[in-house]
Amino acid sequence: MAEGAGRIGRWTGWGGCATLLSLAVLQALLLLFANVFAVGGGVVVEDQPDVSAVLSAYNQQGDPTLYEEYYSGLKHFIECSLDCHRAELSQLFYPLFVHMYLELVYNQHESEAKSFFERFHGDQECYYQDDLRVLSSLTKKEHMKGNETMLDFRTSKFVLRISRDSYQLLKRHLQEKQNNQIWNIVQEHLYIDIFDGMPRSKQQIDAMVGSLAGEAKREANKAKVFFGLLKEPEFDVPLDDEDEEGENEEGKPKKKKPKKDSVGSKSKKQDPNAPPQNRIPLPELKDSDKLDKVMNMKEAARRVRLGPECLPSICFYTFLNAYQGLTAVDITDDSSMIVGGFADSTVRVWSVTPKKLRSVKTAADLSLIDKESDDVLERIMDEKTASELKILYGHSGPVYGTSFSPDRNYLLSCSEDGTVRLWSLQTFTCLVGYKGHNYPVWDTQFSPYGYYFVSGGHDRVARLWATDHYQPLRIFAGHLADVTCTRFHPNSNYIATGSADRTIRLWDVLNGNCVRIFTGHKGPIHSLAFSPNGRFLATGATDGRVLLWDIGHGLMVGELKGHTDTIYALRFSRDGEILASGSMDNTVRLWDAVKAFEDLETDDFTTATGHINLPENSQDLLLGTYMTKSTPVVHLHFTRRNLLLAAGAYSSQ
Amino acid sequence: CFGWDPEGEVFFLLIQVLFFKGYVTTILEDAKIYSSHAKKSSVDADDVRLAIQCRTDQSFTSPPPRDFLLDIARQKNQTPLPLIKPYSGPRLPPDRYCLTAPNYRLKSLQKKVSSSAGRITVPRLSVGAVSSRPSTPTLGTPSAQTVSVSTKVGTPVSLTGQRFTVQIPSSQAAVKSATPTTPTVQNVLINPSLIGPKNILITTNMVSSQNTSSEANPLKRKHEDDDDYDNL
Repeated sequence: MAEGAGRIGRWTGWGGCATLLSLAVLQALLLLFANVFAVGGGVVVEDQPDVSAVLSAYNQQGDPTLYEEYYSGLKHFIECSLDCHRAELSQLFYPLFVHMYLELVYNQHESEAKSFFERFHGDQECYYQDDLRVLSSLTKKEHMKGNETMLDFRTSKFVLRISRDSYQLLKRHLQEKQNNQIWNIVQEHLYIDIFDGMPRSKQQIDAMVGSLAGEAKREANKAKVFFGLLKEPEFDVPLDDEDEEGENEEGKPKKKKPKKDSVGSKSKKQDPNAPPQNRIPLPELKDSDKLDKVMNMKEAARRVRLGPECLPSICFYTFLNAYQGLTAVDITDDSSMIVGGFADSTVRVWSVTPKKLRSVKTAADLSLIDKESDDVLERIMDEKTASELKILYGHSGPVYGTSFSPDRNYLLSCSEDGTVRLWSLQTFTCLVGYKGHNYPVWDTQFSPYGYYFVSGGHDRVARLWATDHYQPLRIFAGHLADVTCTRFHPNSNYIATGSADRTIRLWDVLNGNCVRIFTGHKGPIHSLAFSPNGRFLATGATDGRVLLWDIGHGLMVGELKGHTDTIYALRFSRDGEILASGSMDNTVRLWDAVKAFEDLETDDFTTATGHINLPENSQDLLLGTYMTKSTPVVHLHFTRRNLLLAAGAYSSQ
Repeated sequence: CFGWDPEGEVFFLLIQVLFFKGYVTTILEDAKIYSSHAKKSSVDADDVRLAIQCRTDQSFTSPPPRDFLLDIARQKNQTPLPLIKPYSGPRLPPDRYCLTAPNYRLKSLQKKVSSSAGRITVPRLSVGAVSSRPSTPTLGTPSAQTVSVSTKVGTPVSLTGQRFTVQIPSSQAAVKSATPTTPTVQNVLINPSLIGPKNILITTNMVSSQNTSSEANPLKRKHEDDDDYDNL
């Protein structure tokens, strides 16, 4: 059967027409059968035309047997070029290789495709090896149709950043020789972002490449981003006789000497980088929220100042007997409750403090209590069923993400069954199931102000929801592969999404636009953390590196090497002095964030060209490595007083 | 002589043969149907291709294509974010999109033990009820475990200290019938102490009178404890 299929498309000049013809015949057959067979569930025909339109971008570009010669000719040219240009031009190898291979497969030249792959796949960079393995299993045209990521790769242009000199060199070479085929492919499938300036070194290029779509175009990172924090509301901290006297948030210290308070802003002027207060609608502050803020400020006054001289203590919560079923963990902001999402589709909530978890009494019991009494809020709670652990049932698949609401009234969980569930922490029952992703949802998070939440899943989009709308408010589409990690910016105006296509995108909640694209990781991203001042983003992926990004300028500003396995947890300390990272290699590492972000040479040239020289200072920034016995670290959390809590499930191997 | 050796080659080959034989047979049968419909004399490669395509479309779906996603995203993102009404209590979607509707009715406690002796517990709850909370003693769900834990404790503590009754429709009647006319089990008292050791999967119409004698003791126990509840 394979030989027969191959024989159809072997004619050189008419190859394209022949394959299109057979496609048309197939399409006609399908339509016929769709009418005749009223199959329950239906024969899905509608995506056939779209897919074939997309794939028909692969019309034959010339003699298939000469592809190897074209490629090796280009390879020879690049290897003989000057050193300074070679690194940049070598970026062409991977996208050209993949596109040429896929063209051969699409046009059903199986044997040529196979020998092309065998000959040249070893030359590619090591960080593309996973993709190449997937590609090697794609040997027939039919295989291409079901793979959404491959299709997206085909339709989006692979972006390369090359200096003008190198580009001129390449263009001259390709246009003068007879192998215009490569030039055609370059024009059709690659986007070359030309910049004026020195060609980049191999090291600089290696730091930025790795994603499925190449790098980001410079103009993709030019939009203005309001990375500042929203102003905290002003209200008096009530003076407590026992505690030290706090400060009035207006900035005038009371009798004692002023404590440096970085929570509230002392200046009355609007921070130019902060979004206007009403840029997006936010829920009003309830009395309970105000009380919580007061508590927060009191705790902040007692907070430990961290630094290289004063490292945090780490308290590790180990989940025993979870048998590798622990898939998600979250801790409330005041560190009173911890939730675990498990592969058996349960969500379990524990109370970390001696205070047990209580649910509200049933309706009949509530009618019996005295509503006028002062302690009515205690009376409505049911003492008989108070326990340290509450189990929530409802999902029908492993729970991959959990998130507490900031007011501790709600809990979100997202699962492989495609739903995001909202649970009440007053009654410990499920309130709503939000359906929208029809595929596994990998991560979810409440906004820092509550009410909104974001979820990201296998369908390659992230969705913004509000608790009182059953449909999403915003859809963030653009990633080429699953969205594996979603986080809100501290000012709730932006959402960062990390994806299996190895890019991080920053989206604007107001209009759904993608305002930043960060490339550089060599594996799917699994953890994101915004710094408390909102200016920086730290990201961790399966390649074991933590990358630091300046959001305002849209640049990579640091790379922290040290972990040897996927980084699943990242957290900045409360004042942003220390970055903690937890990984599958059973360690927690602490990095000096203050030092990492100082001395940024963000002059005009850097921001114009978009690349920066990263110092090799991972060793200097590493403040400590803490091993666990055999427990991968899944979650990190700094308490309000800067004690570091970590969580993971003990695995006995 | 082969034994259960999941790592072994023989096991692996056997599994492959069984799987492929089933799959290949299905595909070829479909292909035969298609080719005979097209009045061809023999099964063709195109027929097989069509058969494979139809089967995969039935078994697997893939996420929507990118241009579709970009399109719906553009539509969704055009509408401005809705304003938030202040002081509106818990912000939840309209009731029919929530899972908060009660699917049981509370019945006040009654002393009719003798008539309830003939009744047996529980069957399935009414069709269409979504129960996702541990307080409802559903069956066939993990919460059965929580229920049996409570029996081990000795007292038939129902999870919320309440006894509730469930309106069980007869198996053939429409779900919405408010008063089932069958003389069989109508209002059934659910008591976790009865559920635990029995692991019930009793259908609605079953009223086995021979169980009454064995149930007598647990029922009696329940009756006594009912008094306790009343005195709370």
